[in-house]
Amino acid sequence: MNTSVRARNLTKVYGEGDVAYHALRGVDLEVRTGEFMMLAGPSGSGKTTLLSIIGCVLSATSGELSLFGDDVAKLSASKLPEIRLQKMGFIFQGHNLIASLSARDNVAIVLRLQGVGVKEALRRADEMLAKVGLGDKTRSLSNELSGGQRQRVAIARALAPSPPLILADEPTAALDAQSGLIVTELLRKLSRDEGHTVVVVTHDSRIFHLADRMVHIEDGRITDNGAEAA
Amino acid sequence: MKSLAHYRVMASVGVSMMLHDKAKLAGTILGVIFAVVLGVQQVSILLGLLAKNTMFIENAGADLWIVPPGTRQLQPGALMFDSVVSRARTVPGVGLAEPLLFGSGTIQKPEGGSEPVTLIGTRLPSRLGGPWSMVAGDPSAISQPHTVIFEDAEREKYGQLDIGSVRELNGRQVRAGGFTWGLLPFGPGYAFAEIDLAREITGTPSNRMNFVLVKVRPGQDVREVQRALALRVPEQLVLEREDFARSVVITLLKEQLGASFATSTSFGLIIGFVIVALSMFSSVLDNLREFGTLKAIGCTNFDLALLLFCQATFYGLAGSLIGLALASQAAEGIRSPGLVPIIPKIFYAGVPLLMVGICLMASLLALSRIRKLEPGMVFR
Repeated sequence: MNTSVRARNLTKVYGEGDVAYHALRGVDLEVRTGEFMMLAGPSGSGKTTLLSIIGCVLSATSGELSLFGDDVAKLSASKLPEIRLQKMGFIFQGHNLIASLSARDNVAIVLRLQGVGVKEALRRADEMLAKVGLGDKTRSLSNELSGGQRQRVAIARALAPSPPLILADEPTAALDAQSGLIVTELLRKLSRDEGHTVVVVTHDSRIFHLADRMVHIEDGRITDNGAEAA
Repeated sequence: MKSLAHYRVMASVGVSMMLHDKAKLAGTILGVIFAVVLGVQQVSILLGLLAKNTMFIENAGADLWIVPPGTRQLQPGALMFDSVVSRARTVPGVGLAEPLLFGSGTIQKPEGGSEPVTLIGTRLPSRLGGPWSMVAGDPSAISQPHTVIFEDAEREKYGQLDIGSVRELNGRQVRAGGFTWGLLPFGPGYAFAEIDLAREITGTPSNRMNFVLVKVRPGQDVREVQRALALRVPEQLVLEREDFARSVVITLLKEQLGASFATSTSFGLIIGFVIVALSMFSSVLDNLREFGTLKAIGCTNFDLALLLFCQATFYGLAGSLIGLALASQAAEGIRSPGLVPIIPKIFYAGVPLLMVGICLMASLLALSRIRKLEPGMVFR
């Protein structure tokens, strides 16, 4: 099976000298293409830092990271936004929708940035919103949606361009247990249908059972690389 | 190279963000409107005041002015002798050379009291030097004995003056022969009389005058005639009409009006700049997470700069257009014979461009915040 993400001896140090904080202390990790992987650990364990480095929104202090076979260190800083736009979908803890845009425009924006025409982008946005069960909310602004519905829009936004890698940061944190489960199941189903690789950072044990593989991180080190689900 | 469609996306997101926060939108546009109204009003009044000071030069009908040396403004200085007129008339290319008297007078009001006037004496029948802008009567009325043409706006001041009314001017009885409109300089209003009558009223010797007005024959080069006149009357200064008007403007701007109006106009523009800058900066702070999200999903600093520039352009254009409309209305409202604010046509194109430029500069503060924004903040 191909590898989407390969990290070797990644470290991340915030600050320096006496106030230096070691968020990652030599992380090795591989995420296989099509895998639905969850990264769990206590607060401050380094899981979000690791996700940020994989998502190319934060640079590692040392170590190697390759995405789809490309060494990230060799990419210029100006190339990183393009990598994020073309190859990644993001789902944030707080959904992070653009408040002034309707649900369909929030979903369509990534498609349009990728160069998809307006009509086609909106058509695909509507289609994706229908898949997440919000076919009747396409014109709603985020403040007209519930927390669960907003997170579904965020999922639709991440999946609509069909990126090979989806990174989700605590997608259930702001949701009640039932909604969290539904949203994660939805993410799993849709990504599996499309063959996306998904990395979910979470400490929500209620959704652990949905992962293909659970990776545990503690104090900046991978403590359990997880066994592949049967 | 990104496509035009990509930039359109950023523009549309920028506009939607801007329209979403209606209070901030209104506040920012109000800031621009304030700057435009204040700036345009100040400049239009300044231009109106400058025009008041050059209107005589521009409407006197003379191509060239012979003035005492050192003259920079239209103020009576040392008197000239008649010989200047005679010599000027001998210069080839001179069509007309006529004396002009600038004197001061005091008009007695029937109910008591007095008002000052600026008495202009012009030679008939050419009437180089006025009167013009007549609203009642005929300019040729000054050919009638003891007849003076007064400024319409001063009629009440002079005691309900009408055509045919008789008043005492410097102790001599004169009859109102007509009225001009808007001929009010900084000082007392203009009153026009035949030059001999004006000399009599002001007590000026009959062979003296303040200026000589020259009209060049058709087809003659004004500059050449100016040079020839300068040789012919070397003790005086010969000025071309536009040069004289410019000299008046420059003198006024340097010595009196410039600093005052520049300060108030700049103040308006600076306030507009500050309001837009702070509003856009605060808008970015309010939407920091959204900007971070846009960065995280693949937007570059350039993309976000474009978004801000679209907003700035919108603020500049909308505020300018509304501001110009209000300033035009205000100018019309304060228009009077004493002051006619002038809004040059170029302002209707120039002001929006200027304000868009100012708003773009103001957006740089917001942009500096966005540039520092780490896309990783969305994961915190």
